[in-house]
Amino acid sequence: MPASVVKLSVMDGYIKGEATMPLPELEAAVNHPAGNLLTDPFFRLYFAEHIKAFTGAMAWHTTITAVKLSTALDAAVGKYHQVTVIFKLRPVNVAHLRKFTFAYDVIMHQVITHQALVFLQQDWYNGINSESAARVIGTIKLDVPSGKIYPLSVTLEKGSAWKGFASMLHLGMQHIKEGTDHLLFLIVLLLPAMLIAQNKKWGSFGGLKYSLKNLIKIVTAFTVGHSITLLLCASGWLNIPSQPVEVLIAGSILVSAVHAVRPLFAGKEVFIAAGFGLIHGMAFASVLAGLYLNVGTLALSILGFNLGIERMQLFIIFIIAPWLILLSKTNYYAFFRIPAAVLAAIAATGWIIERITGNANVITIALNDVTPYALRLIILLAIAACLLNVRINGRQSTGN
Amino acid sequence: MALSVNARLSPAANNMLFIGAASLLAATLLMLPGQPDSNYQSATPVVVVATDCAKAKGIAKVVCLADNLKTMLNPEQLAALQLQYSKADAQKWSNLPATFPTAKRIGLKFGNLTPEQLLAAKALLKEVSGTGTDEGFDEMQQLLNADDYLALKKSNDYGSGNYYMAFLGTPSSTGMFEIQYGGHHVAFSNTYKDGILVGATPSFRGAEPFGKFEQNGRSNEPMVQEHAAFAAVLASLTPEQQQAARLDRTFRDVVLGPNKDGQFPATPSGIKCSSLSSAQKKLIIAAINTYTDDIDEKDAAAYLKKYTKELDNTYLSFTGTTDFVTRNDYVRLDGPSLWIEYVSQNGVVYQGIHPHSVWRDKTNDYGGM
Repeated sequence: MPASVVKLSVMDGYIKGEATMPLPELEAAVNHPAGNLLTDPFFRLYFAEHIKAFTGAMAWHTTITAVKLSTALDAAVGKYHQVTVIFKLRPVNVAHLRKFTFAYDVIMHQVITHQALVFLQQDWYNGINSESAARVIGTIKLDVPSGKIYPLSVTLEKGSAWKGFASMLHLGMQHIKEGTDHLLFLIVLLLPAMLIAQNKKWGSFGGLKYSLKNLIKIVTAFTVGHSITLLLCASGWLNIPSQPVEVLIAGSILVSAVHAVRPLFAGKEVFIAAGFGLIHGMAFASVLAGLYLNVGTLALSILGFNLGIERMQLFIIFIIAPWLILLSKTNYYAFFRIPAAVLAAIAATGWIIERITGNANVITIALNDVTPYALRLIILLAIAACLLNVRINGRQSTGN
Repeated sequence: MALSVNARLSPAANNMLFIGAASLLAATLLMLPGQPDSNYQSATPVVVVATDCAKAKGIAKVVCLADNLKTMLNPEQLAALQLQYSKADAQKWSNLPATFPTAKRIGLKFGNLTPEQLLAAKALLKEVSGTGTDEGFDEMQQLLNADDYLALKKSNDYGSGNYYMAFLGTPSSTGMFEIQYGGHHVAFSNTYKDGILVGATPSFRGAEPFGKFEQNGRSNEPMVQEHAAFAAVLASLTPEQQQAARLDRTFRDVVLGPNKDGQFPATPSGIKCSSLSSAQKKLIIAAINTYTDDIDEKDAAAYLKKYTKELDNTYLSFTGTTDFVTRNDYVRLDGPSLWIEYVSQNGVVYQGIHPHSVWRDKTNDYGGM
């Protein structure tokens, strides 16, 4: 049977914990029917008895917040039920929060072949804010020679607001880098930004100044939009379920893709960008919502995260927009713009279906395979843009 | 010749031919590594000893058989089999299937051997193992069959092709080397120094399915002897002795399995064997015998002599039922040098229980290295 996994998070004045363990191991340890595991007070008392923290001899206060049951899969034992216990450990003196003895012996006090792997899941001031950044604290298990289960001595660095802020900045950049949907939306929105709409069709290149002005307006509007909802949602003033938001984001790509083929809202891109920005911001906020931060760290987090998003966004525009501008100067731009928009529309449709049904489909699976080649596609775009411009300049040697 | 034929064909036909030939080649290449495996599955446990080794005796025969195997291997296989001795490599054994990422074995994979190479490897294994029915070589043979039986249900994880043999140090009548063999539910580690066996442990055996089953043309029932011997020991205890021997904790596996080297309890638990009757002691010796008999007769006798001498200072402990057939039933022998644990676990692939058992020696696990 797999070992228990205990994830600790440093919160505002307390340590939050999440312990996951195989039900068969728990059953072997307690000698008490586990049929009413979730409601039976026996188990809450049991967990409180075996999950403790101390500063010296002084015991912290343990609260069992929730007990959950789920199914898990392990290579060695196949499918099995697992129990997750959410708990809070609160020191008498907040100053002791980062240095304590973690006395955890759930299951092990009886089933001595069991062990628990303990991780530090979240510590804002040390920049540990995501699953991937989790750190190993240690393993609690029977020391066979002495026959004892030694508690784990936990000492966490103090960290700093700067460390926390920097990690949020990184998280924001990471989120855009890995958030293919946000990126695609932005790129598709920029596709026709250099063109002038004529008779419900996209016409010719509007000039460099026109293009740059349009790009900046659209990006700024998107930023303003998502910053507003990021602030509102992350601070808890607005609470919107994530599934409809995710569907709407995919929808925003579809609408932008259609607009890139034929102007739907020419001249009003700024409002559309701002409106869709509001939706994307709600999705950004979900990243922060899981962290349960206090006011000060939350404000720094929103700022850092948003700056990270902006930084990555600008970088992406910086490496793509020049080629779009160059290409849009040629007569061949439609041959790029329209297929690109159609592909984006297909991708958006795939996401909409996936996010409604909850199942991956042919399109989204293909997208995952293609995404790693994004950089190569941009290089191809750049080469095509340069070659076509050289050709035009050659032909129009008399000047324009 | 193929080129001249192609030259006369149209480009389209040429392409077709090329694609056909390429896919045929690809298919053949895909089939190739599977070949020894599939041959192996049906291999019967017949062992052919190379004629020149038959005359040799003792360590000379072990070295002869080891060298014989080496001469049959290609350079890559040889490089996989013959390693430098290192304690770190010696400690790389597990009870889990070798297909699990956390339980990767070192050495030569049985599934990659030709039938002749496999017989040579098994000839060596047989020479260094016990000859009794259900013990030593026969037990390991049955455990390979057990894994083939599990592979009927989960062919990705199990099967007798997933067993490995390694020489840690060069087999020779001088110097030190270990013959390491293992896979799912098996760890065999014979360490030799200057021609003498200086360690036959850690030695792990487990069996799933547990109980009689047919596989590879024979009836198998591995580890029933260990089980029966310990069941007899526990059944012989009086209520008072039981109470003294009973541990109050629950064991879901052996305590000192893989990666738990040298962690023996500072103070033994259970009942001291000196307080048992001579009939009971005989039962315990019989139980120990089912472990020592896994190695060759002469060395097994030496081990048993040592453990018999130390028996009065050896402790017997157990938890669970004395029928010894229920999940989490556990028994342990803890002596001055002896350490044996046997536990009944839940079946993983099939219903029912399946045993895990480890034999260690406090003074010469890994030959005292």
